[in-house]
Amino acid sequence: MKVYVVDNGGQWTHREWRVLKYLKVETKIIPNTTPFDEIKDLDGLVLSGGAPSVATDASLMGNNGEYLDKAEYPIFGICAGMQFLSEHFGGKLGPSVIPEFGHVDLIVKSHDDLFKGLPDAFTVWGSHNDEVKLVPDGFEITATSPTCPVEAVRCLTRPIYGVQFHPEVENTENGPQIFQNFLDIIISYEKH
Amino acid sequence: MFGVEEFVDETIEDIRKKITGNAIIACSGGVDSMVAAALASKAIGDRLLAVYVDTGLMRKGETDEVRAMLEHTGINYKIASVGEEFFAALDGITDPEQKRKIIGEKFIRVFEKEAKGFKAEFLVQGTIAPDWIESGDGVRDTIKSHHNVGGLPKEMGMILVEPLRDLYKDEVRDVARFLKIQASERQPFPGPALAVRCLGEVTPENVEIVREACYIVEDELQKAAKAGKMEIPWQYFAVLIPTRTVGVQGDRRAYGRTIVVRAVTSIDGMTATYTAIPMDVLDTISTRITNTMKSQVNRVVYDITNKPPSTIEWE
Repeated sequence: MKVYVVDNGGQWTHREWRVLKYLKVETKIIPNTTPFDEIKDLDGLVLSGGAPSVATDASLMGNNGEYLDKAEYPIFGICAGMQFLSEHFGGKLGPSVIPEFGHVDLIVKSHDDLFKGLPDAFTVWGSHNDEVKLVPDGFEITATSPTCPVEAVRCLTRPIYGVQFHPEVENTENGPQIFQNFLDIIISYEKH
Repeated sequence: MFGVEEFVDETIEDIRKKITGNAIIACSGGVDSMVAAALASKAIGDRLLAVYVDTGLMRKGETDEVRAMLEHTGINYKIASVGEEFFAALDGITDPEQKRKIIGEKFIRVFEKEAKGFKAEFLVQGTIAPDWIESGDGVRDTIKSHHNVGGLPKEMGMILVEPLRDLYKDEVRDVARFLKIQASERQPFPGPALAVRCLGEVTPENVEIVREACYIVEDELQKAAKAGKMEIPWQYFAVLIPTRTVGVQGDRRAYGRTIVVRAVTSIDGMTATYTAIPMDVLDTISTRITNTMKSQVNRVVYDITNKPPSTIEWE
């Protein structure tokens, strides 16, 4: 299985690559300027986080929009990756009311896919200044926290998922399982 | 999980292909550079020279300790004592990024000189993933310039070889244990050394204060771990901050320096939590620092910040 990581300049982009590598996936970090044609045959894609404020520095997010429009395989946006996909499909972003750095108490709303088999509440780590204020039409919130209403989203019509927190860092509980769940989503999507 | 044997075999083969002539390796005695040195030595044998730079910024007894470790490995090595040059270059500098860049540049100049003597065209460094990630690049913010990446001068007369670029510290330790390297369990220590634990100016006097305080923190935490009071943290040290505060010592007014005790728990250095050191151990550290260093330090504080939002070191 081939799942690449789009580098949006995150401190933990390489951690995402490491987690996928540990899960025995063929993976590679690619610049976000990579033309879609070069990655059209993947099985899935991770959009990493990054320093840009997505709402104001959209140009730094390269071809993420093209990937979201053209890819037929599942996509998993993390932090700025989730913010970008939310805005891309019509949602709204803004500065966090309470920015989260480090410990976040995650509350899971849906155990159908990304959080399959995981507890209703567990500790994750975040690091963000902005947040999703309005989820786009056709998306729903799958996790929340006392300090950030939109911790995770999914698209109702396409296999697109996003999390505001960072499942790739050591301090996030069940992180590798969240990635494994994404890989399982890919497998079941390919069966259809 | 991480395949150590496979990594070792592939890396030795890769180094053998890349390094066609002589090479020097920048060796601080930490686990990263000792692993890189061991791998390079297995690949190219006597064509490798390990260079340890005594910057005058190392911890108490560190140069002797590293000399003994290098001796034990059997790798060719050389110790360059250039402390005065480093202090001269850092004179009057207080900005943390400037400190890091000056030190990085200085390191390279020393290595270039040693490379010339050894007729080496290649420079091996034990750079690991957090070093280049945090140093920043086209798309990534610079959190701090790691000496082995961010301080590299644009024009360097050597070809860089970094066999550990994609590894984190926990993986490097796995390789170190596999290769039976003495440094495998040493705590991380930043390349710019005590210069980034001396906030403000890096003078020989300030470095001496933080060196002694670091020694006390290390010694007391190691004793506490040995006594079963706590697990040894990922990294633990003292920081000298440029803040003077009022105190009273033996009925006399004091106006002395402040030491921060910092200890964190981590797996890979990319996220970390502050360590809950038992109160009695903190008390012992505080009293020992203020009693034995009474003419310099009259206040000790404990850092209780995680990464993020802080970093492990203060600069």
